[in-house]
Amino acid sequence: MAADADAHGSTTIGTADDPVLETRGLVKRFGELVAVDDVSLRIPRGEVRSVIGPNGAGKTTLFDLITGVLAPTEGSVRFAGADVTGLAPHERVARGMSRSFQLTDVFGGLTVRENVRLAAQAARDDGFSPADWLLRPTGSFVDVLADAEAVLERVDLADRAGERAATLAYGDRRRLEIGIVLATDPDLVLLDEPTAGMSREETAATMALVGDVLADRTLLLIEHDVDLVLDVSDRVTVLDRGSVLASGTPAEVAADDDVQAAYLGGSR
Amino acid sequence: MASALVEQLLNGLTIGMVYVLLAAGLSVVFGVMDVINFAHGELFALGAYFGYAVATVDGGGFWAALVVAPLAVAVVGAAIERYTVRPLYGRNPLYHILLTFGLVLVLKDGIELVWGPRPKELSAPAVISGTVEAFGFTYPRYSLFVIGIGAVLAAGTWLALNHTRYGLVIRAGSMDREMVTYLGIDIDRYYTLVFAFGAALAAIAGLVLAPRNGVDPGMGDSVIIPAFVVVVLGGLGSFRGAVVGGLGVGVVQTVMRSYVPVLEGLVVFLLMIGVLLVRPQGLFGDPEFEEAGDLFTASGGVLTDARRRQLGVAVVALLALAPLGSGVLYSPFLLNSLFVTVLTWALFALSLDFVMGYAGLVSLGHVLFYGVGAYVTVLVVMHAVPSVVLALLVGVAICLPLAWVIGQLSIRVAGVYFAMITLGFAELFAQIPNKVTQINALLATPWLPTWLRLPALRGNRGLFGIDPVYGLTGGPGVGAVQVVGGVDLLYYVVLAAVVGSYLLARRLMQAPFGSVLQGIREAEQRAEFVGYDVTAYKRRAFVVSGGLAGLAGGLQALADGGVSTSYLAWIQSGKVIVMTMLGGMGTLYGPMLGAGAFFGVKEFLLPVTEQWQGVLGVLFVLFVIFVPEGLVSIPATVQARFAGGPSGGTPVEEPDPVDREVGD
Amino acid sequence: MPRDDKRQGVVAGVDRRAFLAAVGGSGLAGLAGCTGLGPGDGGTVTFGVVSPISGAYSSLAPAQRNGAELAVDTINERDEFSFEAEMVTGDTETEATQGRQAAQRIIEQDGADYLMGAISSSVGLALNELAAEEEVVYNPGAAAVPITGENCNEWVFRAETNTAQIAEAVSAYTVNELGTDVWFHIADYPYGESVLNRTRRRMAEANSESAVVETSRSQLGADNYDTFISDIGNSEAEVALLGMTGGDLINFVAQAADQGLKDEVEIVSPTMTFQVVRGALGPAAYGTYGGVRYVPALDTGDNGDFVDAYESEYDATPDNFARVGYQSILMTGAGIEEADSTDPAEVKDVLPDLETETIFGTNRYRGCDGQALNPTWMAENVEPDGGDPARVELLEEVSGEDAALPCGETGCDAR
Repeated sequence: MAADADAHGSTTIGTADDPVLETRGLVKRFGELVAVDDVSLRIPRGEVRSVIGPNGAGKTTLFDLITGVLAPTEGSVRFAGADVTGLAPHERVARGMSRSFQLTDVFGGLTVRENVRLAAQAARDDGFSPADWLLRPTGSFVDVLADAEAVLERVDLADRAGERAATLAYGDRRRLEIGIVLATDPDLVLLDEPTAGMSREETAATMALVGDVLADRTLLLIEHDVDLVLDVSDRVTVLDRGSVLASGTPAEVAADDDVQAAYLGGSR
Repeated sequence: MASALVEQLLNGLTIGMVYVLLAAGLSVVFGVMDVINFAHGELFALGAYFGYAVATVDGGGFWAALVVAPLAVAVVGAAIERYTVRPLYGRNPLYHILLTFGLVLVLKDGIELVWGPRPKELSAPAVISGTVEAFGFTYPRYSLFVIGIGAVLAAGTWLALNHTRYGLVIRAGSMDREMVTYLGIDIDRYYTLVFAFGAALAAIAGLVLAPRNGVDPGMGDSVIIPAFVVVVLGGLGSFRGAVVGGLGVGVVQTVMRSYVPVLEGLVVFLLMIGVLLVRPQGLFGDPEFEEAGDLFTASGGVLTDARRRQLGVAVVALLALAPLGSGVLYSPFLLNSLFVTVLTWALFALSLDFVMGYAGLVSLGHVLFYGVGAYVTVLVVMHAVPSVVLALLVGVAICLPLAWVIGQLSIRVAGVYFAMITLGFAELFAQIPNKVTQINALLATPWLPTWLRLPALRGNRGLFGIDPVYGLTGGPGVGAVQVVGGVDLLYYVVLAAVVGSYLLARRLMQAPFGSVLQGIREAEQRAEFVGYDVTAYKRRAFVVSGGLAGLAGGLQALADGGVSTSYLAWIQSGKVIVMTMLGGMGTLYGPMLGAGAFFGVKEFLLPVTEQWQGVLGVLFVLFVIFVPEGLVSIPATVQARFAGGPSGGTPVEEPDPVDREVGD
Repeated sequence: MPRDDKRQGVVAGVDRRAFLAAVGGSGLAGLAGCTGLGPGDGGTVTFGVVSPISGAYSSLAPAQRNGAELAVDTINERDEFSFEAEMVTGDTETEATQGRQAAQRIIEQDGADYLMGAISSSVGLALNELAAEEEVVYNPGAAAVPITGENCNEWVFRAETNTAQIAEAVSAYTVNELGTDVWFHIADYPYGESVLNRTRRRMAEANSESAVVETSRSQLGADNYDTFISDIGNSEAEVALLGMTGGDLINFVAQAADQGLKDEVEIVSPTMTFQVVRGALGPAAYGTYGGVRYVPALDTGDNGDFVDAYESEYDATPDNFARVGYQSILMTGAGIEEADSTDPAEVKDVLPDLETETIFGTNRYRGCDGQALNPTWMAENVEPDGGDPARVELLEEVSGEDAALPCGETGCDAR
């Protein structure tokens, strides 16, 4: 990734006063149901933040609001200092927000290389003339190809680059998805249960990979594995029935009585 | 005048009730099974014909028919579900379009075979004939009968859906099929039941309409589109929507016919487009509705790129040399007409695949661009410059912005709604040649320049007798120049344009633009989340596609020596979808092969049997069940067989685990 | 491609059909025509018959085709014809483009030099143009006036009775005997317009009291006429004149009967007496009025022989479409015999005003417009003794000379 342009200012070291992501009073109602209820988050640059909570707590809905899949009923989302509440997902991606999904989402019929190349191409989207964009073969965009190869190396998929993504084993597909996320060169990465359905070893390997390739990014993580959360997070936010129950360092959250009652002690 | 309005309202409710009966079945079948059933209109016709048969037999009669015909059609419906629809569950609803399109042809030909093409008469019993007076108004008894029976059936259906165990399971199934199966319920049995029930409702609709509208083989065609409009307007899968939509469409259509006759033929589609633009899920549709099911796009195959290129070059070379055999091996007509038609339709199918195979947009209104391209090309030749090249270019140039506008309005709605809104636009345009006078009267205002008015389009008669030339303003005329063996030079013009368009499309697919489209085809959400504006890409693909379809229409019009309203008929959209799926979506050459196969089979069957449409229908049905990836997948299948690969079954690629996020 | 051009440049501009014949494609008839073989030399004439086998008019097509087939058999059987005839058929479907394609296929692939057929006016008009382009003789089965009017050409000869001829029978009787206040309802296409224009004008000429209450239009192929029926019933009209045919007319009258409109106005349509219409309407047709182009009960010309032959061949009574198919080909066949040539270019020169014996007695294609001078009748559909399809009761006859438009008014300038 050394060749990457500094498109989103990702090298700037943030301070606590300069949150990369801030939500203010986010509310999402589906008819009578309040899925997300007045959630305000401040995530400083470089932090690893986990969102935990029982099923139906509104975690994925919160992700949908942050990434623009859903429009909030009330409240706003600020990203890298600007209000992005009204922007479409791809516009947020262009500003440096990236996301993986609870169920792996890759371009199944395309090769592993093409998966990563598409993401790298998107990251360089501004640099092409319309004629190039429409008519020049993708194989002649040397910079994009180089970006893609670098990412494949980092996620250790270079030797499988020619295979169709749909034929990869589950763990490899997860890695490919992290590669896709990496290739978009994000400041903020939202990972929705990156280790769901994995064995202990796979979980460890995946988190090691996340820690390795996404180390310099801000991470927002939905995770069920509480041990893992307490292990990797800088701070943890606990959601319950759509609203924030507690927020703090892993130790603080683990010690919180409400959290114990509602979640940690209750369902586990 | 009050009595006139009351009477019109009653008329509207009468036809509206028939729409309700039709739409209720369609909508429930869609809601529960995701099946887009184009054959519903033929079940409606079958109801009328079975009714006719029972009513005219000794000891029969109208009332007996009212009982027997729906039951008989229900049996037909159950058989259709069991043997043709069931193998397709879990696939994208698109496959049902091809399947039920085939069933339409089979059923229609079957009806003609048994009962002949002549319309039949079925009279209503005396007790529901004539008129009845009440409150100072005169009502036709039959209208009251239709409204009554429709209301009873609709209420019964509502009760069954809401207050029986069956209804509960069916409604639950329409919301979450998997959950129902987890509960250990054999949902397949319910599917057969639902399909049969929908068929019975359609049959009743056909039968109660028969004494008023007669019984003829075309009756299914005439109701299927309004019925779909009602379903979409009300919201797919919503019974309430079907009722409100059916009655609403019936009343609005009837009242507007009297008071605003210029909107005849337009009002239904305007209504649908309007509703969908405001509420993309229809009046009572579920806003979170998402289409599921796997779309099998053909891929790769056994041939290497180099081998495929060689094959392509060989085909083009053969086509280029074909005129040498004309007059010796075959008549020049084969090239001038059949080959030219195959080529232009190959281009049309290619254009559709660009949006359907790559951007996942099933456009049922693609004929709009084909027709507009054809009309504009002909008009340019007639009124501006006679040049073939310029006229084609103007045709394309008009289609591009038109596609942009229609894409802009349509792409915001998804799936079946997109198919129907594009159909709506196409039907609006299809009315233009018949309404030039009225439209010009509207445009005849002082502040609009006179050149904005439409030229004469002569309705169904079409515009013929054009005299295009190969030069810019003069030069040899198209009809006059032949190359060899009586083959028109136009054959080469068409060949060059089609091959050129294919190469352009291929180039686009190899460039970043096309790579994004392929990404969207594979995983739309992923494409959005690596940073592509998916909607904008779809719209751009739609524009390219519209331009190519316009070129196809223009070429065909030049070959036909003119243009007429069939160029805008929605059935052409259906045909081109069938060809694309026959050949194999998601490859550029597959749909072109599909066009060749379509016309080839038709040409072969035409002299063999009068029932060629029915045979064609059977082929479609078998095809969609056994070769879902299209013709282009056959070599790989054959290879797999010989290599001792998985024997039996179809080369269905292992379906991805549901590629969609579910709630947490 | 350029090389082809140079090598084959001589061919450029040659008429397709002639070329086809010269290279010996499949056009036996073309071959005979080009080398000037007379029919007596055993030439074979290929008649192309294109009918709407599928689509809205499909119910009318078989009779047209059967009539034509019977005529071809007759030519081959009778000694008065010294040439052999064969027939190839095609499906025009319902619309101009498809009609042209079907006809073109028959002309170019099967080498037909004589074309007969079409029922819808739009297809008929398209084939008019095609006939002139391809230089084949065409006998239209469509009734729209412009076919032998403003869109006429020297290749077109029509044995079908046109709308103006029928309007002549319908118009005067209607306003003089049935009622003067007329509501016109037409299907929105050339045939409907043609009926409207002719009957409106002839009614005004026949009775100065006559008045148009209103004119309404429905789409071709519409299936619900409630709106118009209610509007007509609620108006002052004494007569509803319907400019529509086929399925449109059937649906309209069935719904009108159902709503009791027959009690309020007299329903008249030029095609109301058609066998198909009466058959499909049953009792709903009783008491309606229509023009008659042909009924099998006529004792004119050789109608008796025709009806017998048709009944024994097809086990059905011939209707007007059968008559047109039959008469077209026999009248044209007489022209081929007269010209002593199978070349359509020569036949088209002898056909005008050539008198032949027909189902209606002595008849001819008029020189000024190519229209056969058929008589027409006004009739009522009355309840038959045995029930069901109405019986046609002729009320008034208009002779062939009187029914046709005067030559000066046809608008046919191309002959």
